[in-house]
Amino acid sequence: MIQLKNIERTYKSGAGQTWVLRRVNLEIQPGEFITVMGPSGAGKSSLLNVLAFLDDQWTGEYWFREQAAYTMKRKERAELAKKNIGMVFQSYHLLDDLTVMENIDLPLSYKDIPRSERQSLVADTLDRFRIVAKKDLYPSQLSGGQQQLVGVARGVIHKPALLLADEPTGNLHSEQAKEIMELFRELNQQGTTIVQVTHSEANAAYGTRTIQMRDGWVVGDTANPNLSPANLTATEPRDAAVNR
Amino acid sequence: MSGLVQDFRYALRQMRKSPGFTFVTVITLALGIGATTAVFSVVDQVLLHPLPYPDSDRIVKVAETFQGVSGTDASPANYLDWAAQNSVFAEMAASRGWPANLSEGDRPERVKGTMVTPSFFSLFGINPILGRGLAESDAHAGNDHVVVLGYGLWQRYFGGDRGTVGRNVRLNGEQYSVVGVMPPNYSPDDYGELWVPSPWGVPSHPLAPDKDPRQFRDRSYLDVWARLKPAVTPQQAGAELDTIGRRLEKQYPNEDDKIGVSFLPLHEYVVGDIRPVLLVLLAAVVVVLLIGCANVANLLLARAAVRGREISIRTTLGASRQRLLRQLLTESVVLALLGGGFGLLLAVVAVPSLLALSPPEIRQFKEIGINREVLAFSFLASIVCGIVFGLMPALQASRSNPSEFLKEGERGSTANRGRTRSVLVVAEVGLSLVLLVGAGLLVKSFARLMDVNPGFDADRLLTFNVGLPSSTNAAQQFAFYRDVMQRLQALPGVRSVGAVSRLPLAGGNSGRSFKVPGIDKDYSADIRVSTTDYFRTMGIPLMKGRNFSESDLGSSLNVAIVNDALAREVFPGQDPIGRQLTNFGPDNLTLQIVGVIGNVRHVGLDTAPHSEIYQLLGQAQWPSVFVAMRSATSDATSLTSMAQSAVWSVNKDVPLANIRTMQELIANSVQRRRFSMLLLAIFAGVAMVLAAIGLYGVMSYSVAQRTKEIGIRMALGARRPDVVALVVKQGMMLVLMGILAGTVLSLAMTRLIAGMLFGISATDPLTFAGVAVLLGAVAFFANYLPARRGASVDPMVALRYE
Repeated sequence: MIQLKNIERTYKSGAGQTWVLRRVNLEIQPGEFITVMGPSGAGKSSLLNVLAFLDDQWTGEYWFREQAAYTMKRKERAELAKKNIGMVFQSYHLLDDLTVMENIDLPLSYKDIPRSERQSLVADTLDRFRIVAKKDLYPSQLSGGQQQLVGVARGVIHKPALLLADEPTGNLHSEQAKEIMELFRELNQQGTTIVQVTHSEANAAYGTRTIQMRDGWVVGDTANPNLSPANLTATEPRDAAVNR
Repeated sequence: MSGLVQDFRYALRQMRKSPGFTFVTVITLALGIGATTAVFSVVDQVLLHPLPYPDSDRIVKVAETFQGVSGTDASPANYLDWAAQNSVFAEMAASRGWPANLSEGDRPERVKGTMVTPSFFSLFGINPILGRGLAESDAHAGNDHVVVLGYGLWQRYFGGDRGTVGRNVRLNGEQYSVVGVMPPNYSPDDYGELWVPSPWGVPSHPLAPDKDPRQFRDRSYLDVWARLKPAVTPQQAGAELDTIGRRLEKQYPNEDDKIGVSFLPLHEYVVGDIRPVLLVLLAAVVVVLLIGCANVANLLLARAAVRGREISIRTTLGASRQRLLRQLLTESVVLALLGGGFGLLLAVVAVPSLLALSPPEIRQFKEIGINREVLAFSFLASIVCGIVFGLMPALQASRSNPSEFLKEGERGSTANRGRTRSVLVVAEVGLSLVLLVGAGLLVKSFARLMDVNPGFDADRLLTFNVGLPSSTNAAQQFAFYRDVMQRLQALPGVRSVGAVSRLPLAGGNSGRSFKVPGIDKDYSADIRVSTTDYFRTMGIPLMKGRNFSESDLGSSLNVAIVNDALAREVFPGQDPIGRQLTNFGPDNLTLQIVGVIGNVRHVGLDTAPHSEIYQLLGQAQWPSVFVAMRSATSDATSLTSMAQSAVWSVNKDVPLANIRTMQELIANSVQRRRFSMLLLAIFAGVAMVLAAIGLYGVMSYSVAQRTKEIGIRMALGARRPDVVALVVKQGMMLVLMGILAGTVLSLAMTRLIAGMLFGISATDPLTFAGVAVLLGAVAFFANYLPARRGASVDPMVALRYE
């Protein structure tokens, strides 16, 4: 489904550059549930942003469903993302002034979908996530778990092939976190490819594959046991440590 | 006290800390306070200060009324009867313009003299700075060749020489002895360059200077002034004058038929016309200041949000709400005082320009400027502004809950808390719409006015005033004018030359009554005396009959040319050519109409033409005439020196006066309108810019507040145009509300300027719509810029801080 070849991402910092992604090579198959782990600053969220096409300042090759996304214009990538990708955030990122229903409808409102179709999609989603009773409430009237439930509902309402979740349970207590992860598993079983970033081993256990990152490098991949930190250190260019 | 000093010091530090904020605030306030101070300095002198005469509120201008409508002048006989029969005035005086040729050596100059009763000086209560005023004994034949000089003339012509008193000067070719010099700014009659007595006690008639005027009851040419006795109320005076008026009407049923008497306080007489203009401008400038205050309040509200953490810490450390309020208000007042200081500097610079633009009714107040009252006003205005724009942000900031700010970083809120700011922007847009509508109406009125056909061709016309002394006889005067016309006509570059007793738009008018055989009705019309070439020179079209001709001069038939308005009024549907006008004027002449010319706007472009009768110079006489010369080149003023030489070659004692092009006369005639239009347009423009800046600020702030929300929307698929539309829609809702509120307010407010409009209704829908579109377009741009910035938000950056 996705092929990343030699993806690199740097930020200008002071006099030099900071590397946040280094020669990332990654293949994601449809139906996978991938967990990205690693310490803070390892490049997990940066990788997610690249995958989500939120970032376009990287170099390398990005193939999405056999399409060379890295040759596309920004607008085309945005179109690709709009159709295929859903996002769930650690802080839920619900709009406080919109009701639950309106929040869920938001991604649809940016597509050319007739109003009646949108309404039925929203109704289905509310039903599926068992939040019909909350549809007219505002985010501030919900618990954290409920808010993230809405966040997930919003992330999948347009039936994305790929769901990206950045620390989806980071602000939730364990009971709520469990509920969300069960939901993810269910979505994955229904065919949605999921990439989640998490610090939690418990959450990682829901996934089918785990990728370890450190200092921008992919240093471990359960699907590729040959990849080891030792090999990487040997190939690291001399300038890599300069601006870290 | 030490707390206040600390607050003050802290306020200064805050200003230094955010120089951009301080700069914008101070500039906004300086504009508002400066403009308000400048306009107030005019209002202060013109409307609020008493005139510069002792107990000036007891001085009144008395005039005849006709059919209950107040006029401006009075006949000598009526004046003498009022003076003799009333018990309410401590003193009365009369005057009339007495333009004079002042010739000392080879420098003749035409000056604005006044012929007065001796009581004129004591009535106004001002003593000469040199010599004496006029005495009763001067107002007798043989003693009457004395003159009191105005300060300006004394300085200009006599170099301020104290030895001038006692000297003889030539006025209108005769010797007058200077007996006194008046102080500066003594000019109750707006002539005020010199004053002479009349040998008859009351000023003589300008066309019959040798006749005793005291019996004239049907020739009204006197300005009459009076001072109320200390205990007399205006109502008592009015009642007694009514009684006297009715008594005289009974006593002189022919001359005083429907004639009464009324009076107006002197201050009202001097400033009455300009008062509404000044009040409207003052109101407009206060609105500009309010809009400026709203802008600053908005900036402070934004800053209060930014300073939430500081306020929270102060509160947690024990600062009471009052203490916080005091500190925040000190900051805003210090800002306002700084703005006021710069505003005052701005006013110092602006007032001279304001006066240069202003009509003579304002310019006559020489004291206009930054005085103690104006200083106090601007200081007070600054303090009030500081409190007005500082109070709301201060209240809001001091009310905030510190725990909110402590939680803030933890979980970003996308809530939009800017209701107060939005309300302020709606108010700003609404108020600026009111000013724009007002300015739009005045601009449109002015354009309509300038489109009015004055009835003549004003291009390439040079005009000036010449006159021989009234002591010369009719034959001498006619010979002089004829020679002058011939010499002027012979000048190179002169296409044609004409002369007339009263030039359109040059001020002044004269009327006569007449009858028409077979109709039992009294008519009245404006009277002009002109040369044969006057109409051709002015480009006034001859519609019927013929022009005056040289042969009319030798004929015993008194010919007249009337204008179209008179022909339609007196001879509707008939041919007026050959018809007679009888009982014309006090001499009961009979005139025969030989021609009809087009109407001329004599009084002003905004005043419908009156009926006019033209007599031929030579058959009738006039003490001084306006000469009109049409130049062959576009620069008519280039003829001036040649014209002066030509007149001097006929009589070396006759100067040219009031040298102006016809275009200048037109411009002068609309000066008051141009003044109010320009100022209101400037204020409205400033108001619009301020409102746009306010909107821009609010939308920028809102976009900054909504960065995260925009980031989320973009992460969920919103495109740039979606975001721009989102922000612009929010802003334009405010604008729309402002425009609606402003329209309603304008409908109520424009009635106040209805009297200043011409050819347009105060609710002109086109102006309202045009102004709304203009304001909407400007507001759209003020919205679009922050919206575009919002759309360039990088969703990664917006979402990163979690």
